[in-house]
Amino acid sequence: MGFLGPWFLLGLVAIGLPVYVHLLRRHVTTPLPFSSLMFFERGTQSSTRHRRLRYLLLFSLRAALLLLLVLAFANPFIRFAGAGPNGTLLLLVVDDSFSMKAGGHFAEAKQAALQVLASRPRAQRAEVMALGGRLAVLTQPIQDQGALRSALESIQPGDSRANLGELAHGVRALVESVHTPVELHLFSDMQKTGMPATFADMQLPPNVSVVLHSVGAAAPNWTVESVNAPAQLADPKDPKSRVQAVIAGYGTPAASRTVSLLVNDRTIATRKVDIPPDGRAKVEFAPLEVPYGLNRCTVRIDSADGFPADDGSVFAVRRSDPERVLFVHQTSDTRSPVYFAAALTAATQGSFLLQSIASEKSTDVDPAKYAFVVLSDTVVLPSIFENALLRYVQNGGSVMIAMGTSAGHHARIPIFGGYSSDPHLYSHDGFATVGQTDSTHAVMNEAEWADLKVYYVAGVDAGQARVIARVTDRTPLLMEKQIGEGHVLLLASGLDNLTNDLPVRPAFIPFIDKAARYLSGSGSSTGSKLVDSFVPLRTQAGNASVGVEIIGPDGRRAMSLAEAAAAQSFQLARAGFYRIHFANGKDALIAVNPDRRESNLAPIPSDVLQLWGVRPSSPASTAGYLQEKNTPRSFWWYVMLLVLVAAVAESIVASRYLGTQREEA
Amino acid sequence: MLQRFLDPGVLASISSLDLLARTVVDGFVAGLHRSPDFGFSQEFAEYRAYTPGDDLRHVDWNLFARTERCYLKRYRGDTNSQLTILLDASNSMNYTSSPGRPNKMDYARFAAASLFYLAIHNQRDAAGLIVFDDEVRNYIRPSTRQGQLYRLLAGLEQAEPHARTDFTKPLMHFQELLHRRGIVIMFSDFYEDPAAVVRTIEPLRYHGNEVVLFHVLDPKELRPELRGPAILVDLETQQRLEVIPEYTRTEYTRKIDDHLEQLRNRTRGAGMDYHLLMTDQPLDGTLREYLAIRQGER
Repeated sequence: MGFLGPWFLLGLVAIGLPVYVHLLRRHVTTPLPFSSLMFFERGTQSSTRHRRLRYLLLFSLRAALLLLLVLAFANPFIRFAGAGPNGTLLLLVVDDSFSMKAGGHFAEAKQAALQVLASRPRAQRAEVMALGGRLAVLTQPIQDQGALRSALESIQPGDSRANLGELAHGVRALVESVHTPVELHLFSDMQKTGMPATFADMQLPPNVSVVLHSVGAAAPNWTVESVNAPAQLADPKDPKSRVQAVIAGYGTPAASRTVSLLVNDRTIATRKVDIPPDGRAKVEFAPLEVPYGLNRCTVRIDSADGFPADDGSVFAVRRSDPERVLFVHQTSDTRSPVYFAAALTAATQGSFLLQSIASEKSTDVDPAKYAFVVLSDTVVLPSIFENALLRYVQNGGSVMIAMGTSAGHHARIPIFGGYSSDPHLYSHDGFATVGQTDSTHAVMNEAEWADLKVYYVAGVDAGQARVIARVTDRTPLLMEKQIGEGHVLLLASGLDNLTNDLPVRPAFIPFIDKAARYLSGSGSSTGSKLVDSFVPLRTQAGNASVGVEIIGPDGRRAMSLAEAAAAQSFQLARAGFYRIHFANGKDALIAVNPDRRESNLAPIPSDVLQLWGVRPSSPASTAGYLQEKNTPRSFWWYVMLLVLVAAVAESIVASRYLGTQREEA
Repeated sequence: MLQRFLDPGVLASISSLDLLARTVVDGFVAGLHRSPDFGFSQEFAEYRAYTPGDDLRHVDWNLFARTERCYLKRYRGDTNSQLTILLDASNSMNYTSSPGRPNKMDYARFAAASLFYLAIHNQRDAAGLIVFDDEVRNYIRPSTRQGQLYRLLAGLEQAEPHARTDFTKPLMHFQELLHRRGIVIMFSDFYEDPAAVVRTIEPLRYHGNEVVLFHVLDPKELRPELRGPAILVDLETQQRLEVIPEYTRTEYTRKIDDHLEQLRNRTRGAGMDYHLLMTDQPLDGTLREYLAIRQGER
């Protein structure tokens, strides 16, 4: 404990005032003038009586009041165990996102973190975290310098996208558990794209102070922003067999760059492209000549900038014969196959061949030969076909069911299970629209379904099924149910342009495209994904006997045997190609690219950082840090509260004594 | 009603001694008309033949016109008496126990002024003043001259308490000043051994003077009231003494009563009059005493 203003302690001499008033003044009575003392004698008895300190309580209160007042002005401080240098938690967070690979940013950040760690007091606890796609806790709050240093040194730049919202969320959770002030040192390039959607998500608790160690600087950077290529290719002469890439420049001047297309590490085409200043340019490679099987494709640009890691964008293309799709319909329904086939042909990503068949003729059809099966308004299926179809689904096949006016009036729903109730007719009131959608589903795009007019919806009890879309009166319109290893997608309306206008809507083609890829499984077996996205490995937890094999971008197994036998999903943490052998026996080649927002190296504006409350680091940051650690915590405010209490008590006691004195007078 | 004007508390609010004395005496005289014992008038006594040196103002000019003889007209009250007031101006006279009450010095001033007014204005006596403490501070020779009253009143106003009381030195001095017999009135608080007081003042009596001692005291000097132990400061010697209430209630009371009794007995034994004046009492006692003496002289 100490005093920030010790000179105010000189005011303690004021305590002499109550001592004088209570002890001295009352002991030595005010002399009374008298004519003559010739008849008086000294009264010795008075000595002992006067020396008694009267009004002890009042004297104590007055002395305490003065003492506390002086203490308050002297500004006392105390080094709390939790607030001193040893009580503040030193939190070192190193940004290991993809953008830190630019230049020497990551090495610079790590070096700065090691310096701060070396300068901390030995008794102070510290914790090391890495900020990537999520906030990785590398150590607990510990004092072990060696463990902390090794944790720092173990951090390597990743391919994830840093999000300051994740950081704030993690720190808030940390503060709730440690209950001490936190000194957060953030070593990052502070990309503007790392900010969350709302600034409120970045807010830190009040007992967290942020010291920013900004590394690197915004530099011109070209990157392959996006690639649009078919995930599955049957015929290179197909008009869909082309690769479209967007080349973007961030903070760049106008430049001409060479863009190459590599297939299985061989350059098969190059293009020259002129990129405007700080702009984008599109480049196209057509046709896409790839061999049969799974192919590793890359679009690469010779950027010649300081961030070569983002110069390429990978994607996987499966070259195979077109997959067949079985479309089962009623004999009388000639409209649905036409609409569905047209949409399937127009879809760009997949390569499918539609085979339509009347439901009565499906007895001998083996569903296992098809990528997926569509049941369009079928009333009754041959039992042999239905059983085969059920086994097909349970083994991993997928079925799409559309319930038109015929099937809607039939009680039992094949494959999906359950019974249909009374259908909902909206044609009397005009039409209904889609009121609620689950946009997280792979086949759903909320904007595309917004203007859909629905005239008829079969009454289907969703039960355990996942409802993807509902009409405005909450009647389920689109549902998905997992049966065995397969999926059943049920549209409670038809594909014939009679019960709804979906087949003539622009949304129909992307819907069929997504649905076809989802149901055939090609969506998860080829194409490209972003870093940190997840791949479902198996659908049944009980199917543990079948292992999953994942070969990472570095050519090594990404999972241990135990994980491979039990994991339900896998996070694609690194950029590159993952070869996956699923539990259902299918193989997949998944290309993983970093989030292209990481390529924009523009930092967060300083005013935003100030609003966030960060303190930039300086060359003397370490000394300043230590000096700040020694800053005591003043508690003069509490002393002033005691002064107030003492003043009130003194007033009460004094008024009582003074009242007594008045009565005596 | 008129007695109210003799109350010392009321008189203290009158700043002019002249006005004060007039108020006291006029009030007092008005009250005398109801008393058969103390008459006061300028009654004709006799004629006396004029001798050179007599004041021509007293010549009966009507008689001179009829008989061409010069006679002086004499009155009963005109006895050519001389009043000398000795005023103790020691520091102890400054004492008062209450802010609204005149201190002993003021009370003595009021009484002396009233006596001067009565003597000069009503009795046409010569009057003089001696102010003393341990020295003679002021001396105004007794006279009947025009303006004597105002000189005396001015002398009273200028009399401020100084030093301590010492009767020996001043009285030896004004024994030389008193050549003519008359009335000598002394105002003092007599904080002195009674025997020493009488021994010092007694020689004045030998000249045929009527000596009256007015013992001026504050009521709290007789019965001090202390709520607790206190330190008292002697106004003359500045000596400090810590005293307790028990003592003042018992021993002090006994001592002061004994002192007054001795003073009374010894002065009367020496042929002097002694009167105790309390500063909370009206002034008429003083005037009565003076008139009683004047009656005795006639």
